[in-house]
Amino acid sequence: MDEKAKRTRELLASFYSTEASTAGRAVPVSPSRVATLDSINSPSFDPDVYMNLLHVEMAAEIKNLDTDLQMLVYEITTNSSNNIVGMEANMEQLLEKIISVQSKSDGVDTSLFAKREKIEKLHRTRNFLRKIQFIYDLPGRLQKCIESEAYADAVRFFIGAKPIFEAYGGSSFQECKISSEETMKLVIENLKGKLYSDTEPIEARAEAVVLLKQLNFPVEDLKNKMLDKLEDFLLDFHKESKRMDHQCLPDNIPDSERRLIELAQDLFTKRYETIQQRITEQLSSEALMLALRDIWSDVSLMDQVLPEAALPVISLEASRGVIKKYITGAFSALLRYVSEALTGPQTSPKGTEEQRTLQTALESSKKAVIQGSMDCLLDFRHLLDDTFELVTKMRDLIVDWVQEGFQDFFKALNRHFLMLCGKIDIIKNRVNAAEGFRAEKVQTGLVLVLAQLSIFIEQSAIPRITEEIAASFSGGGLRSYEYGPAFVPGEICRLFRSASSSFLQIYITMRTQKISTLLKKRFMAPNWIKHKEPREVHMFVDLLLQELHGVGAEVRQLLPSGLTQRHHRTESTGSTNSSRSNPLREDKISRSNTQRARSQLLESHLAKLFEQKMEIFTKIEHTEESIVSTIVKLSLKSIQELVQLQTLNRSGYQQIQLDIEFLKNPLKEIVHDEAVIDFLLKEVTNAAHERCLDPILWRRRSSTSSSRQSWSRTRSRIPGK
Amino acid sequence: MQGGSTGIVYGGLKYQARCIADVKADANNTSFLAGTLSLKEENEVHLIRLSPSAAELVCEGLFYHPGEIWDLASCPFDSRLFSAVFASGETNGAVIWKIPELYGQSNSHLWNNFILWWPIGKHDKVISIDEQNLFLWSLDCSRKIAEVQSQESVGVLHHLSGGAWDPHDRNTVAAFCDSSLQCWDLRTMKKTNSIELVHVRDADYNPNKQHIVATAEDETGIHLWDLRMPNFPFSELPGHAHWTWAIRHNPQYDQLILSGTDSTVNLWLTSSNNSDDSTSESQSDSPTQKMDPLLNSYTDYENSLNNSAKKNGRYAWSSREPSMFASLSYDGRVVVESVKSYLPRK
Repeated sequence: MDEKAKRTRELLASFYSTEASTAGRAVPVSPSRVATLDSINSPSFDPDVYMNLLHVEMAAEIKNLDTDLQMLVYEITTNSSNNIVGMEANMEQLLEKIISVQSKSDGVDTSLFAKREKIEKLHRTRNFLRKIQFIYDLPGRLQKCIESEAYADAVRFFIGAKPIFEAYGGSSFQECKISSEETMKLVIENLKGKLYSDTEPIEARAEAVVLLKQLNFPVEDLKNKMLDKLEDFLLDFHKESKRMDHQCLPDNIPDSERRLIELAQDLFTKRYETIQQRITEQLSSEALMLALRDIWSDVSLMDQVLPEAALPVISLEASRGVIKKYITGAFSALLRYVSEALTGPQTSPKGTEEQRTLQTALESSKKAVIQGSMDCLLDFRHLLDDTFELVTKMRDLIVDWVQEGFQDFFKALNRHFLMLCGKIDIIKNRVNAAEGFRAEKVQTGLVLVLAQLSIFIEQSAIPRITEEIAASFSGGGLRSYEYGPAFVPGEICRLFRSASSSFLQIYITMRTQKISTLLKKRFMAPNWIKHKEPREVHMFVDLLLQELHGVGAEVRQLLPSGLTQRHHRTESTGSTNSSRSNPLREDKISRSNTQRARSQLLESHLAKLFEQKMEIFTKIEHTEESIVSTIVKLSLKSIQELVQLQTLNRSGYQQIQLDIEFLKNPLKEIVHDEAVIDFLLKEVTNAAHERCLDPILWRRRSSTSSSRQSWSRTRSRIPGK
Repeated sequence: MQGGSTGIVYGGLKYQARCIADVKADANNTSFLAGTLSLKEENEVHLIRLSPSAAELVCEGLFYHPGEIWDLASCPFDSRLFSAVFASGETNGAVIWKIPELYGQSNSHLWNNFILWWPIGKHDKVISIDEQNLFLWSLDCSRKIAEVQSQESVGVLHHLSGGAWDPHDRNTVAAFCDSSLQCWDLRTMKKTNSIELVHVRDADYNPNKQHIVATAEDETGIHLWDLRMPNFPFSELPGHAHWTWAIRHNPQYDQLILSGTDSTVNLWLTSSNNSDDSTSESQSDSPTQKMDPLLNSYTDYENSLNNSAKKNGRYAWSSREPSMFASLSYDGRVVVESVKSYLPRK
């Protein structure tokens, strides 16, 4: 508040006051401008010029206020998290109240228990009496059913009463039982008659069988009889058609036989279709084989009587289709399974919960990939192990299909991953791209999970699957003689390796983009030529650090810290004779010698600088250190570029210097490669120095004390730090 | 092969520099203009010419210029005319100069960021862009005046940072701001098209194919767009380690693209066909598409003297000799390179 008042006073002063207070502001503006601003009291007052100047100054002030406003919004959001802490206490009170209410309700419940028991007993008795009434009425009712041919009702009633007859049939209900059974016998006879009569419609006959089955009547006998009858019928039919065949002209195939063949073929096609439909309901391979065997045995039977229908050929063709469809179906189910494991638990990422979900998402999707693939393989092995003659004929084909399936599965998975990142193969999926290109914001956490999952697939899943395939699905394929095996683990590994590094790149881009927006607001908006004397470290520093801490916290969940690599890298940076860049530099040195004679000292000094520059943007590794430091370096580089686009007055320069000074220690805590941070920070201050009209260094002492002050302020501001 | 082996160096600029332009109208020589950026010293514009033997760069003219030079553009039909965007303290404006004498001050608007010439041939209009406005100037060379013909404010929300004039349609200009690339019709001064894009640094029309625009962005690299389908780019290139500052199609070989960041200039080969949907579809299936598009990377030169010595991503193709380009370091070194060895066979 105090500061705000001061600031308002200062603002007013800057517009209205005379020499004295302007001097207090110590804003080094060009002398001509000070003169004109003061000229409001002088005789040479020119309202137009004055208004113009005022307008420019106000515009600058508005921009400053705008940045301040944005920073304040951020502060408010941090404060609101404190309110949430307060809410927690309230919630605990609420919980206590709820518990007390519950205990009271329990008391009421026990007191009413006895009465409830009594009511229930009465209710049971009433139900019992109703049942007895039903039993006594049963014979009459059954009789009525027979009269109206409502056999279904009759069976239903009888079955309902059956347990009671079994229990008490010897005593109290004997009479009832006997008369009911009499009636039921009549029902069974009627049903049988219905079944055998050819005039009845097929539905009615099917219903009769169902009813008989319900009455525990031995249906198997009936079935055999029926089948015998059917076979006789077919044979008769066949003989008859043969006879007709002889009678007719040889090239004129009799209509009836053709129709019979068509019928038989149709029958089996329909049966295969049923299986295909069942495949979509995730059938196991055993069940599939059982079904196929079943049909095959029927096919053989039919073939004996009707070889002209060429049923085995059709059947082979159809089973091929079925098995192929089964395999592709299994792979698409696997893809769905993996993608659900990935995106499923990602719905409520906030605070500590996010930590759990990111890790669990990674773990569960890892498990989904490996377990799912293994299950698929096991399932397919059942297909191969089967001794069924149809399958043995297709063994090679199945091997090929499985290999192809894995190849396609991993390619599809890779595409799916890219799509989840919003980074689709732009040309190929143009239609999808139009819908989803920037429809939804991709979550940064998900991108990290994908990066790690890709690594896992490349390094663990593929080798294991390859092993498994080599063990049980090797050799065979017709295809492999011409094109080599369908499953090429090397290609898939390459695919996922490049995918994982591009996911990291996407992650870094997403994060730096956010930081860039922040930095741009900070550096592009204010009028740096009219900057006020620095009072404290600018808010953007806090925001930047908080962003970076956020990145660190997110990355840490999934990636190893990678400090050993870092150590290794700093060593290589330190040595001037790194093997990688050596030949290159020698080449340059020799050339430069011919061009210009420079002292050896300068050369080596320069070479060091050059090499350090080369090392700033190193290859991104799958470690926390690598990612966080890349983001920090990119951010610092952005600051440098942004500063270079500005023209600063002395205060602006000092403000930047102060901010940078303050950034130094926290950044070194985040990134352990101090040399690079020092170098980049120095680049920023150098850039500011170059772009400053009047570069005078900020006094060291006040700078350190001020930065320490702000440091403690930030510490209290950033939760969990 | 590292850049520099073919590079011809010009070390005549005394101060830091940010802009270089090809002198298009000079049919007899390969020449460039470069302007310095110094806060305290007097700034200069150098007219640099490649000697006929193509062995060295010669300073053909040196002109003092008031204020720092932030952008330069040479008139495409008169080699003596060029425009400069300058800043001096708080004032900021654009001037059109005639070599060797002062031609005339076109305007002195605050925050004038950019001047565009109609890229090919004679046209008496010039466009200037400042943060919130688009101006179309009518230029009268004989009377040495320029008048605002029409003007359009794009609104406070957009801070225009640059633009490109469509070489295929002199009524269309593309301007870009922080969040989008917008196409304007100069007859109606209305926005006709816009591409949502974050942090655009530069854009360039393909001089040989209509509707094709390349954009350079801060974080996301380089995208190639067909303006008829503004929802998604048809191709992308990975860009640089840091911001991609500038992007230019080669004036003749339109598959070649140069892009620059603070320490490197990259030469890219883009897929040859893109304007036609069906062909690009079929191309994407062919394995050759996976070819690395980066042809060469011209990096820092070792004999720069201090830390700030680096390319600032500013460069210009020579329109007279399309296999040559000049690049400019922030410390004021101009290097002319040949890309002959990378030219696609026609």
